[in-house]
Amino acid sequence: MPEVFIDGTRYEYDEEKDEMLLQFILDQGLEVPFFCYHPSMSIPANCRQCMVKVGTPVKDQETEEYELDEDGERKIRWFPKFQTSCSTRLQDGMVVLTQESSEEVARAQKDNLEFILVNHPLDCPICDQAGECPLQIQTYKYGPEGSRFEVKKVHKPKHVDLGPRVTLDAERCINCTRCVRFTEEISETHQLTIVQRGDDNYPTTAPGEEFDDPYSLNTVDICPVGALTSTDFRFKARVWEMNQTPSIDITNGKGCNIDLWTRDNEVLRITPRQNEEVNDYWMPDEGREAYEQFNENRVDRPSIKLDGDNQSNTSWNNAIETFAEVLEANDPSDITIIGSPHASVEENYAFNKFFNLLGVRNAKFTPHVIPGAGDGFLITDDQAPNTNGCRVINLDEAEDASIQSTVAAAKVVIILSDNLVGREVLSTSDLDNPYTISLATNHSKTTKASDLVIPITCVAEHAASYVNIDGRIQRSYPAKETKYTNRRLNLEMSEGRLDRFGTNFDNWVSEENKVDCLPVWDFLNKLGDRLGLDFKYDHSREVFAELSSSIDELQGISYERMDEENGVQLPIEQKEVKA
Amino acid sequence: MAQDWKSFEPLLIPDIPNLEKIDVYEENGGYDALKKILNDRDTWSRKSVIEEVKQANIRGRGGAGFNAGLKWSFMPDPDGGARYLAANGDESEPGTFKDRKIFEFNPHLFIEGSLIASYAMTVDTIYVYIRGEYLSWVDMLQEAVDEAYERGYLGENILGTDVSIDMELTYGAGAYICGEETAMLESLEGKRGYPRTKPPFPAQNGLWGRPTTINNIETLANVPLVINNGADWYGDIGAEEHPGPVLYGISGHVNQPGVYEYPTGIPVLDLINDVAGGIRGGKDLKAIIPGGSSTPPLRADQLDGVTMNSDSLKDVGSMMGTAGLVVMDEDTDMVDVLWRIAHFYHHESCGQCTPCRDGTGWLEKVLKKIKDGEGEMKDLDLLLDVGNQMEGRTICALADAAVWPVRHTINRFRDEFEERCKKSVHAVA
Repeated sequence: MPEVFIDGTRYEYDEEKDEMLLQFILDQGLEVPFFCYHPSMSIPANCRQCMVKVGTPVKDQETEEYELDEDGERKIRWFPKFQTSCSTRLQDGMVVLTQESSEEVARAQKDNLEFILVNHPLDCPICDQAGECPLQIQTYKYGPEGSRFEVKKVHKPKHVDLGPRVTLDAERCINCTRCVRFTEEISETHQLTIVQRGDDNYPTTAPGEEFDDPYSLNTVDICPVGALTSTDFRFKARVWEMNQTPSIDITNGKGCNIDLWTRDNEVLRITPRQNEEVNDYWMPDEGREAYEQFNENRVDRPSIKLDGDNQSNTSWNNAIETFAEVLEANDPSDITIIGSPHASVEENYAFNKFFNLLGVRNAKFTPHVIPGAGDGFLITDDQAPNTNGCRVINLDEAEDASIQSTVAAAKVVIILSDNLVGREVLSTSDLDNPYTISLATNHSKTTKASDLVIPITCVAEHAASYVNIDGRIQRSYPAKETKYTNRRLNLEMSEGRLDRFGTNFDNWVSEENKVDCLPVWDFLNKLGDRLGLDFKYDHSREVFAELSSSIDELQGISYERMDEENGVQLPIEQKEVKA
Repeated sequence: MAQDWKSFEPLLIPDIPNLEKIDVYEENGGYDALKKILNDRDTWSRKSVIEEVKQANIRGRGGAGFNAGLKWSFMPDPDGGARYLAANGDESEPGTFKDRKIFEFNPHLFIEGSLIASYAMTVDTIYVYIRGEYLSWVDMLQEAVDEAYERGYLGENILGTDVSIDMELTYGAGAYICGEETAMLESLEGKRGYPRTKPPFPAQNGLWGRPTTINNIETLANVPLVINNGADWYGDIGAEEHPGPVLYGISGHVNQPGVYEYPTGIPVLDLINDVAGGIRGGKDLKAIIPGGSSTPPLRADQLDGVTMNSDSLKDVGSMMGTAGLVVMDEDTDMVDVLWRIAHFYHHESCGQCTPCRDGTGWLEKVLKKIKDGEGEMKDLDLLLDVGNQMEGRTICALADAAVWPVRHTINRFRDEFEERCKKSVHAVA
């Protein structure tokens, strides 16, 4: 195996991988500061921050043996200049000195940071990036104590709306060109470029053009300073006030891995979480805008239609009693249940199982697909996160017309978390005759047309799994509390920075933002009690454990495995999702 | 040799009226070198042309002074794909204005040289990148290129052989950085003029990823001389390690500024006093910049016996550069000169990489402060320190070019800078 020596330690490397020095260093868990390098994009080596000292051993030209010095050590020929490690190819026998072992290198990196900061406004106290800013972090670690720059900084455009979602502060920009390379190499819209020259340059669009790339907000994530900020999230919260909880994007079939950022039981923003198998470092802007539906327009407390079309809130007891009476008053063959590609595997399974126990026919579901909506990258035709999950647990996949005829023939229709009216599978009048019960997270045309609405938890409030269009099962974690959950008792909830450092203050202080809803399985527990059914789960983990023991495709899969492997690919046949 | 420079007859721009016309050029032996090669390919194989030029030791006239033939030999073997020659006519360094004389007075010599180079390297397309401000010179060269196409020196099957070479003219948009060879390639490709990281070098990965060689206009114009007269003849002109005729662009406080053709190795003081007619107004010489603004300036008292060739200039701590000599008389304010040079590099830094982008601005701003009488003594050391932090840490050599004049002007004229700082509003510091 070829070898390299980094700060005196020997490492072996795989020649096949053709890796660059910086990536290799990072892969070993070592650190060298950098700004412009990004593992998924081309290497411009323009920030010059990752400079290290590099040398190669001297070989005798004839024998090809390493030449040795008096001490028997290999003779090293040092490169005359510092090398940017991001653009230096590994070479057998290469000797590398980083800032850890070389004063010279540490000084060179400090010098470079001094240059970067010369025209940077240093407005961290009012900058959204503070707290998660590579420039801030690396300046604290490797930068100079102060600045010797006593002349005037360059002035450039500030608070420029580059497009509908991204705001530019050109003064903060350090010209790493990550955003430009993103639009060239990843989203391929070529919307951004650097304009002007020298210390006047900054990224922007062509004159009159908007930065409306459907992936534009990724540039905010990869911006190593606060030059590009999210217009929506700007000035809403400091990073350290929020908790970061891993989750899954539910706005389409790709199941991008994401983080939910919460404060006071409100989701304030969504950012992508790296997963090479699914979304790499990216996600569509659309998925980020979904955070509002976790906070706004939620079904909060059950509601019931008493007279005419007016719904009014009711108690859980009354809702359960009404639900039970409807089930008791009707023959199971007159009851139709409709599962949902928008709901999780556990929800669909518990829902279907519960009503099967009562003798109701297997649940149907209809995929939610808009042909042509996808882009072959991270936006899919499939508008739902769990179409394949419904298939795996053997719900009956139905055409829209089949749903319509079943509903027309039924006396009771129970719909799980699917806005069938909103997406025009059904019309409001289809639901006039049957008694309609919706289990829903948000108010919609469907809940409005329902006789009884049961509020259920959304992806931000429960642990549950989803199977994406490629057959990969991945799961969510509770990121915000509901009225009846307690973060301290729910070990799956993440801690805020304040908690971690031992203050008495709790981030989840706002009772107002807690939605009065229940996980589907928990509601069905209560309904089962009332009906005397043998149906009891203490956690969605139990639902999944039962599934993995009963369904072939899910055998050997557990929440733990999904956590460790960042999702698990299921052995399922790829099925064309049709409209 | 240096002694008999007065008897030297110009070779690059001989005194022949209307030489820019192809008829006149042909009458005076024009395109003979090309014919000589193409009509006798047994003697003049591609390899032997490169060897002859390498022997002649034409040192690149664009500033770096690299052996042109050696550079050609770096091209990989042809693989059937496109190969390019990019002729660099973007001369825009302050003090440099020689290539345009070739475009104006002897364009066919350059075209012929480029054709020989292209033949030697199996190149099929020549791109000529001309400084954006040289619009009239683009027209002049275009006329010559059109004539050459008409006579069959350019295009398909040149002179009835199987050699086909095209020449395309293109011009910049006013950026000094596009004279840096890889920035020029980016610009030719229609992109922002950002220098590329090397390796890979242009010979491996040049225009559109194909093998490309970049030569200066004047360098290419020297090639027919070598082919017509032989490498030995060429090597005898001027200084031994840096032979050949050179277009000296002399500007500044002299009586007769202009472009003069003489061999290398001519004494600097002869160039000022005899060729350029001496210092204007009979004043004393204070300093020179020998080869464009990036080359370190020299004090008058450093110039005794110094000649215009790389070894001699290196001995006194400077460089030949582009042989664009800037002459400054005793009344010159060196603080002002240095500020102006620093302003140029600040304005022309492309901004791609950090030390140059932010360092050039810092240098200029501190020099402005000193110039305006607000400098402090510590600023002089700061300037040197900032320079050290920039040099050798960037993608291209623009940062180095910006640092050298700062370092050497301050070191060689330190008294003047200190005096300015002492008189400043922050005097005691």
